[in-house]
Amino acid sequence: MEISQNDAQNSLKEVEIISSRTRKAVVAAYDPPVLIVWGLVCIIAYIATHFFLKWVWPIWMGMGTIGSAATFLICHRQFRTANPTKIANGAKLGWQIGLFWGLLYIFIFLIWLPIMAPFNGLQCTAFIITVIMFAYITIGLWSNSRYMIWLGLAVTCTTLAGFYLIPHNYYCLWMAATAGGALLGTGAYIQLRWK
Amino acid sequence: MAKLDNIIHQPVRLQIMSSLVALEQSEQVDFVYLRKILKLTDGNLGAHLAKLEEAGYVRIEKTFIARKPRTFVKATGKGRDAFDNHITALKQIIGSADE
Repeated sequence: MEISQNDAQNSLKEVEIISSRTRKAVVAAYDPPVLIVWGLVCIIAYIATHFFLKWVWPIWMGMGTIGSAATFLICHRQFRTANPTKIANGAKLGWQIGLFWGLLYIFIFLIWLPIMAPFNGLQCTAFIITVIMFAYITIGLWSNSRYMIWLGLAVTCTTLAGFYLIPHNYYCLWMAATAGGALLGTGAYIQLRWK
Repeated sequence: MAKLDNIIHQPVRLQIMSSLVALEQSEQVDFVYLRKILKLTDGNLGAHLAKLEEAGYVRIEKTFIARKPRTFVKATGKGRDAFDNHITALKQIIGSADE
């Protein structure tokens, strides 16, 4: 079989388009609802922290619990009914990921924060969000998911910028807009553009 | 010198293999989802998948999830190798024309 150079180039372009569309579609099937949930959690938690700073720990623990429960329900439903792909040992992988996030939750709220106390509300929220973004970047590196790496880096940078440069009165509002907005916006973008 | 694969080179089958090879080796994609990604009809996708399965390039698994029948498709190792060879052949055609 022989084909022209033009046909060969067109074929390679088509391969690249379909490969990219497939990878994005798989990400879009799983990630947007979870990102949107955590974006809303961050926005609500940061705004609540702005008005009730001394309640920072229970606010974040409560919102973290709600976010975790919502994430579990979304993922459980997705894996059970609407998952577009099936991975060998997928259920085991799902439990491993869930266990990872559960352990992180325990380490943050029951081990690290008590060890580091006393701390102020700003330190608490900056610590929580940067630990989570560390997890995002790590998972992004393992799964070769570039958007997770960039999202993790961007939110870490805005957190540090806010912590060191923004007047403390406005720090939580800054974080609601940047961290919460970044998570919510990324989820919405993937939902709308990658599906 | 790699050779073009007659089975894979058909446009729809090239799209199918491009999509399947884009996934991880252990990953299978749902038939309905693949149809949506490639914007094909059930019959069209089914016919080309049958051809690829006959060549040993894909594996089709019918199963039940939450009591609903689901069909999953994945590229076999043979299919991935054939696809890689086909891509290499395409690049060689472009490369030799540039010389």
